Amino acid sequence: MNTLRAFVTLWLLSFHRLFWSIGTPMLLLPLTACAMFLVRRRYGADLDPVMAFHGFSVFLLRVFAPFVTPLCALAFGTASVGGDREDRTLLFLFIRPLPRGLILLAKFLAAWPLVLGFTCGSFWVFCRLAGPPGRAAFDAYLPAVVYMASAYTALFHLFGALFRHSTIAALIYAVFMEVLLGNVPGVIRRVAINYYGRSLMYDAGVEHGLSAPDPQWFDPYPAHDAKLALWTITAGTLAAAWLVFRTREYEEPT
Amino acid sequence: MTTELVFENVTKFYGPVIGVNDVTLRIGLGITGLLGSNGAGKSTLMKLASGRLKPSLGQVRIGPHDARRSAAKRLLGYCPDVNAFYEEMTGREFVLTMTRLYGYRLAEARRRTETALERTGMADRAERRIKGCSHGMRQRIKLAQAIAHDPQVLLLDEPLTGIDPGGRREINDLLRALAGEGLTVLVSSHLLQEVEQLCDRLVVVSSGRILADGTLAELRNLLNDEPLTIRLESPQARRAAALCVELSATSHVEVHGDVVTLRTRDPQDFFTQLNRLVVEHTLEIRRLETLDAGAEAVFGYLQRSAS
Repeated sequence: MNTLRAFVTLWLLSFHRLFWSIGTPMLLLPLTACAMFLVRRRYGADLDPVMAFHGFSVFLLRVFAPFVTPLCALAFGTASVGGDREDRTLLFLFIRPLPRGLILLAKFLAAWPLVLGFTCGSFWVFCRLAGPPGRAAFDAYLPAVVYMASAYTALFHLFGALFRHSTIAALIYAVFMEVLLGNVPGVIRRVAINYYGRSLMYDAGVEHGLSAPDPQWFDPYPAHDAKLALWTITAGTLAAAWLVFRTREYEEPT
Repeated sequence: MTTELVFENVTKFYGPVIGVNDVTLRIGLGITGLLGSNGAGKSTLMKLASGRLKPSLGQVRIGPHDARRSAAKRLLGYCPDVNAFYEEMTGREFVLTMTRLYGYRLAEARRRTETALERTGMADRAERRIKGCSHGMRQRIKLAQAIAHDPQVLLLDEPLTGIDPGGRREINDLLRALAGEGLTVLVSSHLLQEVEQLCDRLVVVSSGRILADGTLAELRNLLNDEPLTIRLESPQARRAAALCVELSATSHVEVHGDVVTLRTRDPQDFFTQLNRLVVEHTLEIRRLETLDAGAEAVFGYLQRSAS
């Protein structure tokens, strides 16, 4: 008997179940809607390349970063642990000799490539559909997208470890914290992951002609600090999820 | 050597609610039945034994290992009461996946899966998707995943629920065979009659405490103060009742048609006196049975005496 083999089995099982879950077709709906919008909008047809880049960047900053990225993470991040909790199949894992910390790690490592795949894959498709401004945007914004997707994935694993109905909790978080608070002027927007992601995107877009936002409405965080904040959120929430999952008793009195 | 499941002064709190109260129990070779009504603490004991709950006080051990450790879980097979599966899998895929989670190579896991499916009578039906399986088949799949890695301690939470009488016999035979191979088997059940037939030893739980522990005969002997109810069928029922009421060991008599229902606090003395009565008065008795000598009655008595 070998712990590594058991870990790989669980990773494969989790990856397979997540990929073939209802989350995948549900996610394809908004992604298709975004693609259809881009086909119709035709940013590449704009004669001024700077204006075209600016226009496509606005789509990415207002739609892709605050909606599409958390949605991709939500589809797989919450279902990773939360799906097993809701289906009550977690006990089959808990009675196996794999330590709980490794169970969470296997689940995170199964969800992470799926979230990155769908986020970065859809980002690539959107950039291709946008034409020349999309190609510049892909190179400029990809690191920010990866950072954001990772932070959301870790955060939604924490939700999965904490809440029985983690998808609902994550949806409430995505709508209220990310969309509403992330756009509130002042310090309070710092609770939103997409604030740091968008700060990174603004920083990367400036050299391509993206005009700086009105500081009254959006005051970007310094790029280096935003990157550090996203790393900290990823590592911190993953560590918190690990701690909760390791120590929590997922049982009710009978 | 037999691996024991040991509870040492185990207490479990759920917030302010006490689930299990200072339980000390040693379960070894053979089949032990865990009896208790809903909320008695039976499921909490099973969860503590399977390492899913941590005791608030005391310790649960499987062999020399703490029940929550990986080393203990390698020795443990657990058939849960929840009807939850990876529904999209076939029975064979499910058992194989669960077996591979012990870290076996694919070929070895396949071999163990086939053996477990064979033993649980599922080998020829395991290609069906779990979501299309009957309750009985699902129980067998759960049992197969619990025994595939050759555990030394087997915990079964309500394993006979939803299984037809023929199936129950097969499962009982399998559990007896496993116990014969040196396994420690703990079965929790509401099906008291099955537990009575299956188990070498019974542990009765109520309000989070062990109420009684022993063989059924031993438990029955604890209840000397409890009356035994006897049902007697005779064409001379009224005459038989009138004669029985005179016996010193009889405490209560009722007649309904051909049936006399009697109660006695001293069964041995009662049956001696009844034998004499039947011979002396040439009473015709078609049928004589004790109604509450089984596990159900013992359990009921113990529950009442606890409350």
